[in-house]
Amino acid sequence: MKAFDNYNPITVFIYFASVITIGMFCLNPVTMNPLILFLSLAGAVTTYLIRNRTEGAQSHLFFFVMFILLTVINPLFNHNGVTVLLIINNNPVTLEALLYGAASAAAIIGVIYWFRSFSQIMTSDKLLYILGNISPKFALILSMTLRYVPMFEKQTQKVIQAQRGLGLYSDTDFMSRVRGGTRVFSVMVTWALENGVITSDSMTARGYGITKRTFFSIFKFRRQDIILSAASVILFLIILAGVISGSVNFKFYPEISYAGTTVISVITYIAYGLLAFLPAFTESGEELRWKYLKSRI
Amino acid sequence: MITIKNASLRKVLRIAIPFALVPAVIVAGVYLFKENSYMLISVAVIILSLLLFISGFEKKKTGTRRLIIVAIMTALSVVGRFIPVFKPVTAMTVITAVYIGGEAGFLVGAMSALISNFWFGQGPWTPFQMFAWGMIGLVGGLLSKYLKKSRVALVIYGVVAGLAYSLIMDFWALIWNNEIISMEAYLASLVTAIPYTIVYSASNLMFFALLAKPFGEKLERVKLKYGV
Amino acid sequence: MEILKVENLSFTYPLCNEKAIDGISFSVDRGDFITVCGATGCGKSTLMRMIKKELTPLGDMTGRVFYKGRDINTLSEAETACSIGFVAQRPEEQIVTDKVWHELAFGLENMGIARDIIRRRVSEMTCYFGIEDWFEKSVSELSGGQKQLLNLASVMVMQPDVLILDEPTAQLDPIAASDFIATLSKLNRDLSLTVIITEHRLEEVIPVSNRLLAMECGKILKYGETRQVVASLRENDVFTRGMPAAVRIFNSFDLNGPCPLTAREGRDYIESNFPNTVISLEETDERNDKKETVLEFSDVYFKYAKELPDVLRGLDFKVYKGEIFCIMGGNGSGKSTCLSVAAGLHRPYSGNVRVLGKKIKDYKKNELYRECLSLLPQDVQTVFLKNTVKEELEDVKSNEDFLPYDLSGLYERHPYDISGGQQQLLALAKVLSTSPKILLLDEPTKGLDAYAKKEIGDILKRLRNGGMTVICVTHDVEFAAEYADRCAMFFRGEITSCGVPSEFFSGNNFYTTAANRMTSGYYKNITTVSDAVKIMRMNRTEGAL
Repeated sequence: MKAFDNYNPITVFIYFASVITIGMFCLNPVTMNPLILFLSLAGAVTTYLIRNRTEGAQSHLFFFVMFILLTVINPLFNHNGVTVLLIINNNPVTLEALLYGAASAAAIIGVIYWFRSFSQIMTSDKLLYILGNISPKFALILSMTLRYVPMFEKQTQKVIQAQRGLGLYSDTDFMSRVRGGTRVFSVMVTWALENGVITSDSMTARGYGITKRTFFSIFKFRRQDIILSAASVILFLIILAGVISGSVNFKFYPEISYAGTTVISVITYIAYGLLAFLPAFTESGEELRWKYLKSRI
Repeated sequence: MITIKNASLRKVLRIAIPFALVPAVIVAGVYLFKENSYMLISVAVIILSLLLFISGFEKKKTGTRRLIIVAIMTALSVVGRFIPVFKPVTAMTVITAVYIGGEAGFLVGAMSALISNFWFGQGPWTPFQMFAWGMIGLVGGLLSKYLKKSRVALVIYGVVAGLAYSLIMDFWALIWNNEIISMEAYLASLVTAIPYTIVYSASNLMFFALLAKPFGEKLERVKLKYGV
Repeated sequence: MEILKVENLSFTYPLCNEKAIDGISFSVDRGDFITVCGATGCGKSTLMRMIKKELTPLGDMTGRVFYKGRDINTLSEAETACSIGFVAQRPEEQIVTDKVWHELAFGLENMGIARDIIRRRVSEMTCYFGIEDWFEKSVSELSGGQKQLLNLASVMVMQPDVLILDEPTAQLDPIAASDFIATLSKLNRDLSLTVIITEHRLEEVIPVSNRLLAMECGKILKYGETRQVVASLRENDVFTRGMPAAVRIFNSFDLNGPCPLTAREGRDYIESNFPNTVISLEETDERNDKKETVLEFSDVYFKYAKELPDVLRGLDFKVYKGEIFCIMGGNGSGKSTCLSVAAGLHRPYSGNVRVLGKKIKDYKKNELYRECLSLLPQDVQTVFLKNTVKEELEDVKSNEDFLPYDLSGLYERHPYDISGGQQQLLALAKVLSTSPKILLLDEPTKGLDAYAKKEIGDILKRLRNGGMTVICVTHDVEFAAEYADRCAMFFRGEITSCGVPSEFFSGNNFYTTAANRMTSGYYKNITTVSDAVKIMRMNRTEGAL
């Protein structure tokens, strides 16, 4: 089971749009609420871990270092804030700037992690399905391109081998690599353009352009999709209302100040927590259901 | 199944999106929230402008062979990104724009960005890259009369377009880092990027000087042979 | 019932004086399986494209084509697109979209058909073709044969009555090709689908077709029941050359009776008409033992990546100076890999490859490719990048005086505008420009007609006689039997048998030439049609005595 893979692409899109929009929306000096940003980061990392488990563990290290760097760089350049920690070259390093750096780093890395999961789940055929609903023609041309890319890569390898066998390609030094590269690319351009007519004939033969196309797809919109999409949209609206109302406002400069804890702010935090961990919830729900079904056998 | 089945509703949406939504987003962004949320607003504006372009493309009748040429040029520029030293996206976009037209150029640029990112990773930068390269194509198409005539002009446009791309993306980085990293840090990062920019411009220069013409000829031949 | 009628059809390409098609008339009944044959350039492809209205090239066309009694120009676009299906030669380039399911749906999407109906038709077709396993795959994962079947299936979902195929198996290996023909034959039998097919490789398709249309210079030479047409073209060398072995044997004698089409019928024909008093031909033993080794593989192991299985497993063989050495074997047996290892494109992880007595790894940089060894790739389009044939030759500074053939008639043409056989010759010219001592060829006869094959074969012989060593990987048993000095069988990364063609093929029961299959057990060591004819003649005169 991989979180979200079985959902309709539209559902997946709605979910990620909601959670990422809020994550990015809070990336401004007025509403940069550390709790929301932290929830975003935690949810993003959890979602990614659910899909990938221990795979590609070293990439986490990279982002951790990036987090530290972003945190540290801000106070070195930004001298706002009232709580001076130390002074470097006559420039004060402030606590506010440091915390601001940490919060913005959380925001940026959170968004990056959301996109990492999004890229994995939203494979090209799913994106095509979404685009097919907006513009069948654009989706078709994209699909054609996606068909060509692996084909051209394979052909590029063949061309490299062929030219090498003729003694016209080598990659021993920089200049011959450039020369070889242009040669291979030149062969590819001719090959691709000249044979394009076959694809074109094959499209015409099957009646392309006669009437308005439909867009076929193997994805279905099921009940689970309705539930998840509705949940995403409702939570999104609640959070948006909460943020706009100003009850989760948070300011770092000149000194840390924030709107007090109110019913609205608590609801907003809970709503965002739910939204950010939705993939984790659906995943564990699935697992429980399987366990239950298994135990019944 | 959720699809906008109704053709007239789709039409309404097509007109409504650019003419109502783009300003609405900007107004909402700037006035409603009072403070800056440039990042979100810029992403929204860019996505909407891309949608605007796509809906225009959808409406038009495009010949099969034109469609194929766009798909081929895009695929070539994506595949070219894997060949060492080569960064042919800008070049392929401009060549397509000059010989086939601005719309085709826009599509090649925008789709190259989108599709490359299936390998390099999608992110909030995707719409910006799509937009930046798309615009390079669109403008190239507008200037095609001059660019076709003079090779020098073509090379200059190619290099300038490459720089413009870097600038657009840097501008985006500025928004992305808005208020997080100060102007000094941003300028510092620009300075460190200079060697990369020089290499990139040089590769563009070389590409345009050496290959623009032969590739253009290849395109012209196919255009003639297949009657595009 | 008449489904298609062509009436006095002529066509001239723009800027051409001669008619590509000249006054052709014929009629087709529902359920016919028609093979159209003729030499390259006889206008058969053009004819196919005239029947498929959408693909008719620009030019001057007169005459009419009727589909179910109505002129195809009066039919709606949707009707012609659906009713008349078309499959072309290259499997790869015909595919439009990136997923198998999407490709199957493509035609129906174009018709604006609702999703539910598309779903139903696509699933039906998937089941009929038995391709459920691929349904969600990317098309790039399929093999060439699978791709061509997908092309066929995605035309069939549109429920055509007439299917037109222009050399659909030319790019496939023999096994995939016979699968494809078998599927066509099944469609023809099950659905009374009318099939009109052009082919160079007639061995498989002639037995399943009920009619044959022979074309020459844009005109119909003969049209009618397969056996009759085949028999009536006895005297015509151009047609006979491309025919199945049984037909070629039949045509070499003037006996009456029905013409055999398959190997089984051929065997019956031979056994009932010719005695076997003389069992074998005299061997002309020209083996000399003082041979110089030019290429040597000793215990070579190779794999593409560490985690992948071995492709070459302890490969051991020698190739001698001045011979044509043919390597045969199934798909994925490693024979092409062997060739690229020999060409220094891949490094074995164990064992040695010696070229002209020197270890291949001791050659520096491009030294190996200078006056030493050269490889003609399978896909010859991978070597073309210029605008004319002349520029292509100048690109490698080719000295045409040394070429054993002449290309000067093609100088101003674009490399992609010339025929497959001519492309092969042009690519060979580029490969020969380095004046190699060893020439490596990967499937040089793929997609070529009988005439072009003979031309290539004769050129290879001439090169060999000039002292060059030719190593050739091929699926084409008939070609190997005809031209090779030695043949080798590749199986799972090593050579399992090797020898001169007559012994090599006689030792095989399945992987052998049609002539050998027809005569094995009756005569000895017969591999080519000309050998078979020779021994049959001898027996006939013996019997007469």
